[in-house]
Amino acid sequence: MLSERIKKALAPLSLEKVEPGDYNKTGYHLEVAAAPDQMPAVAKAMLAEGCFLESLTAVDYPEHFTLVYHFASYQELCRTVVHAKLDKRLMATSITSVYPAANWYEREVYDLFGIRFAGHPDLRRILLPFEADFHPLRKDFGATATNA
Amino acid sequence: MLEPGLEEKTYILNLGPQHPSTHGVLRVQLEMEGEFITKADPDIGYGHRGHEHMAENRNYLQFLPNMGRVDYLHALAYNQGYCMAVEKLIGLTVPERAEYIRVITAELNRIASHLLWVGAYLLDLGAFTPFLYCFDDRENILDLLDRITGSRLTYCYYRFGGVPRDIDEEFIAGCRAFITRLRGRFKDYDNLVTKNIIFIKRTRDIGIITKEQCVRYGLTGPMVRGSGIPYDIRKSEPYSAYPQFDFEIPIGERGDIMDRYLVRLREMEQSLRIIEQALNKLPDGPIMAEKVPKRIKPAAGEVYQAVETARGEFGCYIVSEGDIKPYRVKLRVPSFGNLSILPEIAVDTLVADLVAILGSIDVVVPEIDR
Repeated sequence: MLSERIKKALAPLSLEKVEPGDYNKTGYHLEVAAAPDQMPAVAKAMLAEGCFLESLTAVDYPEHFTLVYHFASYQELCRTVVHAKLDKRLMATSITSVYPAANWYEREVYDLFGIRFAGHPDLRRILLPFEADFHPLRKDFGATATNA
Repeated sequence: MLEPGLEEKTYILNLGPQHPSTHGVLRVQLEMEGEFITKADPDIGYGHRGHEHMAENRNYLQFLPNMGRVDYLHALAYNQGYCMAVEKLIGLTVPERAEYIRVITAELNRIASHLLWVGAYLLDLGAFTPFLYCFDDRENILDLLDRITGSRLTYCYYRFGGVPRDIDEEFIAGCRAFITRLRGRFKDYDNLVTKNIIFIKRTRDIGIITKEQCVRYGLTGPMVRGSGIPYDIRKSEPYSAYPQFDFEIPIGERGDIMDRYLVRLREMEQSLRIIEQALNKLPDGPIMAEKVPKRIKPAAGEVYQAVETARGEFGCYIVSEGDIKPYRVKLRVPSFGNLSILPEIAVDTLVADLVAILGSIDVVVPEIDR
């Protein structure tokens, strides 16, 4: 079972949470919580197990950001979600050196949320114009259905 | 011709955003050394409409029509992905007949998308005739779907809990006639395109993607299957009524453009098989779940639902905070991940080959830009 192997591979990293998920309810086989600076180590472990980075995004909560990483595998049905709570004043850590796929995803998160990634080779905006001075998916951006 | 003693300089070439072979407003900034590309930097976002932001400011149902406008070529897969994610969130079961109708229409839509790709791709390579053949066939699908869904392109046909309109005998007869027709046409495509020596020279061993690159870049869809990895969400993470049908996942060997072309062509045959089986086994019964809440207000939580579109994996990630509006909707679109490999595989190729490689990724730019 891939989820068992991933659990074993993540054990030495002493992460906040590594638990089986409720697949029928959420679509996750494994739910992981980690600190943002542990992400390169987590990514390395996932790559060693043959998983690919399915998606990387963020959610803006009043007190903090949560970075959400999804990993899946071509060989076996096993989706791992990694939640990493990030203090709003701090930088996240890039995993681009492990997964080149993260390059564009991290640029997108920077573009839409204003989260910076330490160690990213080319952190430019990607969807919005380079000269834009706002980050639209932050909850304080303020546009609503009638004016957006 | 350079004067002796003068250094050769690199220069910048802009491909797009109005270039016909970029299929939409995509710009690729190329750094050239003579005829060869040393660096390619795709510039996306010209068509950014902020779908994810719109989702946070609308209730669940109001956001549904947006799903036809993300990937307009395989809109029904997006309808399905979003509907399934919301159904999972509120615990709604879709009746069997509705699942079958979803499969039939989504597969028809997949064939339409692949047909358009074959036609437009060969147009990129300079062949005009196949385009007319493909659009002729695709027109049949658009007519069929028009009858059922009410639109020819930006479909909004699925609802939370089922589908709003049942299919009729005329639609079923039309599907059967189309299956017979397209099966006969594959021979024409083979003679016209697959065996064409110019086409083979332009696509064999060009734009090779290795299995290892697939993993590092998180590619999905015909991009990975062309490289020999049998990864198809319809099989690997079965959803809807797909487990009840017998079909294969065509894969390539070398991972070049030719393999990706062959994968898409064979996928159309498999889609026809699925549609045929679904029509034969179509169960009777309701097309809508009995108790669909008028106001969708899921409990706090999150859900990730993946479906296979014509281009790869569409993942719909919804975070609910117990409100009538989603707190966050992330659309994991296949073309975004698939295009991100271009800077790596474009290096040391010719501009003409870059057009061939870019086309073989089958990007839909509004999907990337969202």
